Amino acid sequence: MSENNTKEKLYKKEIRITVIFTLLLLMMAHCASLFVLFPGLQSPVSAAGVVGGFMGFPIQYIVPILFGWFGLAAVCYVMAVVCNKFDDEMEQLATDTKSRRQRETA
Amino acid sequence: MKYALDNVWIGLGMVVILFACFYYVGWWASRKTTSEEDFYAAGFSIGPVTNGLGMAATWASLATFMGVIALIQKLQVPFVYLWIQWSISIPLLTLLYGTSLRRMKAFTPASFIKARYGNGAAICIVVWMCLVMVMYALGQMIGLGQAFELLFGVPYNTALIVAGLATVGFITMGGMYGASYNAAFQMVVMTLAMVAPMGAIMKQMGASGWWFPPLLYGDMVPNMLAAIPTFFDMKYDFRWYFALIPAFTLGPVALPHLAMRVFTSSSVKSARWAVVWFVLFLGLLFCGTYVAGFAGNYFRATTGNIIEKADQTILVLNVFYNPTIVAAFVMGGALAAGLSTISGNLMAIAGLVGNDLLGIMAPNMDRKKKMRWGYMALGLGGVAAILLAFKPPAFLVTSILWAFGLLASTASPGILLGVWWKEANKLALIVSSTICGIVYIIISPHVLKTIVIGKGLPAALGMSGGMVTVPLSFGLFILLSMLFNRMDALKAYAPTLADKQIIDRIHGWGEEYEESRYQSTLWPLVAVAFCAAILIWGLQPWS
Repeated sequence: MSENNTKEKLYKKEIRITVIFTLLLLMMAHCASLFVLFPGLQSPVSAAGVVGGFMGFPIQYIVPILFGWFGLAAVCYVMAVVCNKFDDEMEQLATDTKSRRQRETA
Repeated sequence: MKYALDNVWIGLGMVVILFACFYYVGWWASRKTTSEEDFYAAGFSIGPVTNGLGMAATWASLATFMGVIALIQKLQVPFVYLWIQWSISIPLLTLLYGTSLRRMKAFTPASFIKARYGNGAAICIVVWMCLVMVMYALGQMIGLGQAFELLFGVPYNTALIVAGLATVGFITMGGMYGASYNAAFQMVVMTLAMVAPMGAIMKQMGASGWWFPPLLYGDMVPNMLAAIPTFFDMKYDFRWYFALIPAFTLGPVALPHLAMRVFTSSSVKSARWAVVWFVLFLGLLFCGTYVAGFAGNYFRATTGNIIEKADQTILVLNVFYNPTIVAAFVMGGALAAGLSTISGNLMAIAGLVGNDLLGIMAPNMDRKKKMRWGYMALGLGGVAAILLAFKPPAFLVTSILWAFGLLASTASPGILLGVWWKEANKLALIVSSTICGIVYIIISPHVLKTIVIGKGLPAALGMSGGMVTVPLSFGLFILLSMLFNRMDALKAYAPTLADKQIIDRIHGWGEEYEESRYQSTLWPLVAVAFCAAILIWGLQPWS
């Protein structure tokens, strides 16, 4: 694969990674909005209690809390792995380019 | 005072011990601080776990420890949703620009603005950021005054002066090294102080899951619903929840004291791992506040007791249910929460003035002299916050949250588009940031009460205002950039090759410059259309 192709591929990958993780982060933090947009997802709540909840809470309360903590942590973990691997690829490209230039100069 | 500590000496002992620890760390850190890199960025040396704790402590302020519980009492569950979304601030910041700016070894986001857009734009952004930092520190000072008030049973104003001056002292001493290590220690203190005593309270309230209070209080829900049937209602329409994004998600992304935590990392990779730790630590503390908010409502509804100052709920619950020593420790946790954030706020002011502003106004000034100015700015910022706190708003969170919308309207577009779009124009940033900042202030209920977008709490917190000025700022910045770059008379403000090379470099391309990268025309126009739709939606009457 030519060097230009590699650069183009890496550039597109950077944009893709950024867009995907931005959406995932927003989803984890703002999932409460889904329960407003689709009220059918909510557990019915009345003075008599909660119907069909989770851990004793209405779904619309506990799911955003769990997503905002553990869901977000999972996304951040994957983000660290993927972005750090991407950095390695960028560094590899920079090293290859530098050595090629040195060879050409020599 | 109904809920002051029984024994003032226990409270005093707790405060003395904590402040002794903070001053020791400050003194130890002052010996390590020999350069600007040390003072503003802790020598770019903080590891992921310490930094994760530091990030969480800087973000989790007294607003988290006290203010959020008060607003959960007022808004109930919708305010929990509002708070949850703040966990993404540092992950989003790190993803979108934190690591890029760490690569260029920036001290503050304004350092990047200066390099990318030049001096004029940097002065504009520094002024907005300093204003926001003072507003932010103000909220913390109010909380500190209230905590001291309860601890010692002294009047609020006396409490404020003592707490404020003691705080500014140790921060000035230690610089960013001190702020970082103190913040990590403070996060441990505040988490323990929030979560462990809540277990004892939940046990007395009858929760079987008292041994892990952050998540296991589901068996109290039937009693809560019997007392307050509307507690879990999602009271507002979809726009209310959507309005959290422009003001409260995009605002904190540009907070200089949060970005500075990312910059102190020992490497770009370490910064990303710190974010994982940040989410885990912060999640534990945040869930602690949700249960405290739940317990506050439960306490009022089931015991009939009245809490006069809602911000003091967590402290009152502990005075009511726990032994004095535990209540004193919780108040110590509140202090830790306030101190860690004030440290970040004041360090940001020091960096913005001492490094960014003086770098522009007196570029040849000696580094040591610049650092001295930084110390002075730090002290003055603290005193300004103390003075403003003498007449506090009803809820301490109000001033902080309102400031987020201001930052989203003025600084976020410049930073985000500056990193991701080569066409971003210097003059366009100054114009859009100034106009939208002023419009945001005008349409809030705090200045001109006759010109307000929205009403009630959404207007007071800046949610309805942000829904108008944040999309306006992004849209205006993009359109003006495109226009100004094509006008011969304004050629001087168009991005130069050197400006564009910065963008490639901070994304990790090194010296490999490629003109076509980060240069789209279509996507910015799509963003403008999206912003216009949100702006129109925000202008519709608020119920």
